[in-house]
Amino acid sequence: MNDADLNTDATDRQLLQRMAAGDRAALAILYRNYHGRLCRFLSRQTRRPEVIEEVINDCFWIAWQKAGDFRGDSRVSTWIMGIAYRCGLKALRQHGEEPVEDNIPEDRIPADDPDEDRVLRDWLSKGLERLSHDQRVVVELVYGEGHTLDDVAAIMQCPVGTVKARLFHARVKLRNVLPALAERTATFKEQAP
Amino acid sequence: MTMLPNYSSQDCPRAWEMMPWVLQDSATQQQGEWLTHHLAHCEACRAEFEQQKRLQHALSLPSNVEVDMEAGLQRLLGRLDAPAVEEPQRARRGGWLTRALAAAVLIQAIGIGALGLKTWSSGNDASYRTLSQEPATPVTAGAIRVVPDASMTLSDWNALLHSLQLQVVGGPNDVGAYTVAPMAATASQQNTLQQLRAAHGVRLAEPVTDTP
Repeated sequence: MNDADLNTDATDRQLLQRMAAGDRAALAILYRNYHGRLCRFLSRQTRRPEVIEEVINDCFWIAWQKAGDFRGDSRVSTWIMGIAYRCGLKALRQHGEEPVEDNIPEDRIPADDPDEDRVLRDWLSKGLERLSHDQRVVVELVYGEGHTLDDVAAIMQCPVGTVKARLFHARVKLRNVLPALAERTATFKEQAP
Repeated sequence: MTMLPNYSSQDCPRAWEMMPWVLQDSATQQQGEWLTHHLAHCEACRAEFEQQKRLQHALSLPSNVEVDMEAGLQRLLGRLDAPAVEEPQRARRGGWLTRALAAAVLIQAIGIGALGLKTWSSGNDASYRTLSQEPATPVTAGAIRVVPDASMTLSDWNALLHSLQLQVVGGPNDVGAYTVAPMAATASQQNTLQQLRAAHGVRLAEPVTDTP
């Protein structure tokens, strides 16, 4: 954990303490701080904004209720991601799992999404498609959110060895498909008007 | 089918394992330097590391699903104000399951109780009898248990009973023994017994007593 992470965690712990005392302003700060990364994490599991919001709100509802129980065994971010992961699983069971879409409808793409990012997203979504749900979550948590193996094991409530194996197999799968996808994307770009 | 990575040197597996942690800056400085040194000599790992960097960059892009943060926060705060509405809804989901489980347990308990009651009540009239138990039917006065020989004909048996003024009051049991009793109450059991034992075709004749 670097200095920036340590500072962020210290701030998050203070916010949790304030939340435990019933401070709603602290809840709002934590909510805004985590909204972006939770959206990113959850949008790999569902493309429905209302489901993503439901999961985020369920997650912070629990965080609000349990703030006083946080013992500091892990980083606050690990604790919150763990709650979000479990809320996400529950929501997927209720709403049905949706695969990561290949073609995102035009009206869902933010106007400021540059072409290069869109190509990258397309490349990524095609690669992630080849992974199981658990492998996708591990890749997202390690590469997207910067969590360690121990963090991911705590979030997914499974042994570190299991996380290691999921990461290894996910990487092997991605290694086998991503270069080809990159070439295909490059060819498509060249041919595009 | 999963194809395992092709390693070009024995350092490659270590480099492969180290890549994500160097990328996310959680590896030690020493590990980072070792990987940099390895990448300088290994083209395959260099290509893989570039791929990993691209993957990390792609995964760190902001979500392209638009979710209104402020509207969501307001809904959450509104939810905090109405815990009495929210909680019963959750409680109802849990309560339904709890009630179903409780009903299942209750049905099982009733079933076990009924089975126990049935077993207990049928235990009073056991299907077996010990030697010291009293027979189900009262012993007739002067009754004698007789085991005729297998070669004895029915007519000989009838003639014997007739001559001794006896009648069959029970049997044959599992070993082929008949219980016979005198038709006249005045007959001497000892005398009858001696005649039975002396008769041809009778293997055994013993008086039946109340106590074994």
